[in-house]
Amino acid sequence: MTTASRMSRTGLPLLALAALAALLSAPTARAAPAGKPLQIGVITSLSGSFATFGGMEVAGYKVAVAEVNARGGVLGRPVELLIEDDASNQNAALAAAEKLVAGGVPLVLGAFASSITKPLAGYLTREKVPLLNSNSADVAITRPGSPWVFRVGQTTDSFADACFDLIRSLQGLKTVAILVSNDALGKSTANSVKEKVKALGYALVAEQAYDRGLTDFRPTLNAFKAAGPEIVALSSYEEDASTILRQAKEVNLSPRMFISVGATGYAIPQFITGAGDAAEYVLSASPWRPEGKYAGAKELYERLKAQLGSEPSHHAAKAYAGMIAAADAIRRAGSTDREAVRKALEGTKLQTAFGPVSFESFAGYRNQNPAPSLVIQVQDRKFVVVWPRNAASGAVRFPTPPWDKR
Amino acid sequence: MTVVTLLQTAAGGILTGGVYALVGIGLSLIFGVMRIVNFSHGEFMAVGMYTAFVLFRHLGLDPYGSLLVVIPAGTALGVAVERVLLAPIARAPEHTAILMTVGVGLILSNSLLFLFGAHPQTLLASYSTATVRLGPITLSFPLLVSFGLTVLVITALYLLLTRTDLGRAIRATAQNRDAAELQGVDTAWIRTAVFAIGTVLAMAAGVLLLPLLYVFPTVGSTFTLKAFVVTVLGGMGNVVGAIFGGLLLGLVESLGASFGATNYRDAIGLVAFLLVLLVRPAGLFGRSRV
Repeated sequence: MTTASRMSRTGLPLLALAALAALLSAPTARAAPAGKPLQIGVITSLSGSFATFGGMEVAGYKVAVAEVNARGGVLGRPVELLIEDDASNQNAALAAAEKLVAGGVPLVLGAFASSITKPLAGYLTREKVPLLNSNSADVAITRPGSPWVFRVGQTTDSFADACFDLIRSLQGLKTVAILVSNDALGKSTANSVKEKVKALGYALVAEQAYDRGLTDFRPTLNAFKAAGPEIVALSSYEEDASTILRQAKEVNLSPRMFISVGATGYAIPQFITGAGDAAEYVLSASPWRPEGKYAGAKELYERLKAQLGSEPSHHAAKAYAGMIAAADAIRRAGSTDREAVRKALEGTKLQTAFGPVSFESFAGYRNQNPAPSLVIQVQDRKFVVVWPRNAASGAVRFPTPPWDKR
Repeated sequence: MTVVTLLQTAAGGILTGGVYALVGIGLSLIFGVMRIVNFSHGEFMAVGMYTAFVLFRHLGLDPYGSLLVVIPAGTALGVAVERVLLAPIARAPEHTAILMTVGVGLILSNSLLFLFGAHPQTLLASYSTATVRLGPITLSFPLLVSFGLTVLVITALYLLLTRTDLGRAIRATAQNRDAAELQGVDTAWIRTAVFAIGTVLAMAAGVLLLPLLYVFPTVGSTFTLKAFVVTVLGGMGNVVGAIFGGLLLGLVESLGASFGATNYRDAIGLVAFLLVLLVRPAGLFGRSRV
């Protein structure tokens, strides 16, 4: 038998397996076509490690589309979502973007994670297609930004502003340790925290970035324990958030405050169910809460919950606002021409259940929605807004008691 | 770094290393007897995790109690995979078996994705965050339990291999398959038994890890990699070596991550691995085959 034929013998079943695997691993969602729908591109993470957040985004987009279509659609046409799965990785996101651009969508909504949105923003700027992002918090996406990139959601700078306003109000805190995931969101969070630490005269006593997929944080948490910070500033995606707090309890790391400046993994219902009692007292920045002051917030929460079938997070609300802003811009542009839509987006002035949406240039940002952030705390297994005071639904519980005194 | 921190870090490393060892032993045993590098080992672990997860979620069965279900299920799965997929290619070149196990792994992880979705899920048992205090050191209760069970499983395996007819037959097959066959050992059956034992060990390791970790369909790949390092460290096919390989890897990673940067953790483990191979190319306890 020749080498080539032996290769093909072993290669074929492998190929078949790979094809089967690809089939099994790439679920795509698509609405049924109706009339002559206006198609809007969406790139988000339906599979892979960001799938929970991607599911939240899709729920938000769908609730907004239902609302827009119930009011007669856009330009007399029903809106339809073309949802592409980026499988939580950049290459798949770029491939999806290429497909959407070739398909002629007026704009693209997405992606979820900062590390995916950054290359996506570069690509769509070159292609001159507007990108409307809802949930990536990395500052660099809109600072310096591009004429084609717009962001509804808050940045890590906005998160850090709210967190440090609260920290300053508590007085007497001096030392900070930073533990973030080693990715775009984590790095942006660490930078935002370090700027605050420097500007406000706090002392940074430890800083660590961990690679995703790490399951044993004990050595790092032990090193933190030795450094003895009063504030542990965090940023993580979903599963790490629960693991870090559980292991902080294990190694008895007891700062006066755990605060997730990066929001994300610590500001979703899964954190409370995953970390259990270890989640108590943990503070987190949060872009939105249903009990907040904006009209329709509570109702939006109920609709998102019905769409999702479980507890929605702020990510769903931001995605909702993104879709509403997109429909509004196309309506005002009067066409699906990409340049006209881009110009219309610049003039956005909306009041939504997520809060006000406008895209402005300030402090080095471009096309950034200047939305303020909240700080929430886990109190008796529930999220409670504790900052700012005028939006608070409860008082902050401080200091965090040591693990052995709870 | 104080003595307490050092002790705490070392204790954490050894306990984590015990879990690595449990994952590594199964891989080492299968390689030793069957000469198959089982690339689906981590995926069997993931199957074990999901089995315990489902039993907990829907029947309220304690994760450790679910071992009673997982062990027979693992035996059945291991026997089925070996009989149907691996036995027919027993005499084929080595890479055939590698492709087969890679394929089995792909099918397993994607079936899990299909059944349970991609998002990570956490099992919060009442003792998930419980700790045990030893003076100034705190240890995780589920990590201690899993370490204890690992010791039990390893002891049982050791007794099986050294004190029973099955164990003698397994060792004979590992030493020389043809000679064992001539002595009346049914080596085909021994291979099936060994693969089943390896599968059970991987799935049991998954169950023990579940209260500590979260589970997602591709969780296995990380542990397949760790298991390879553990196996090669200890000497390919050497079960006792795998135990020390696991403890060593856990300890080195833990201390390295504590002294250095967290994101160099895997690098530190792999550098230690390369250093060992430089000095002892066949692993710590391996005898060179050349």
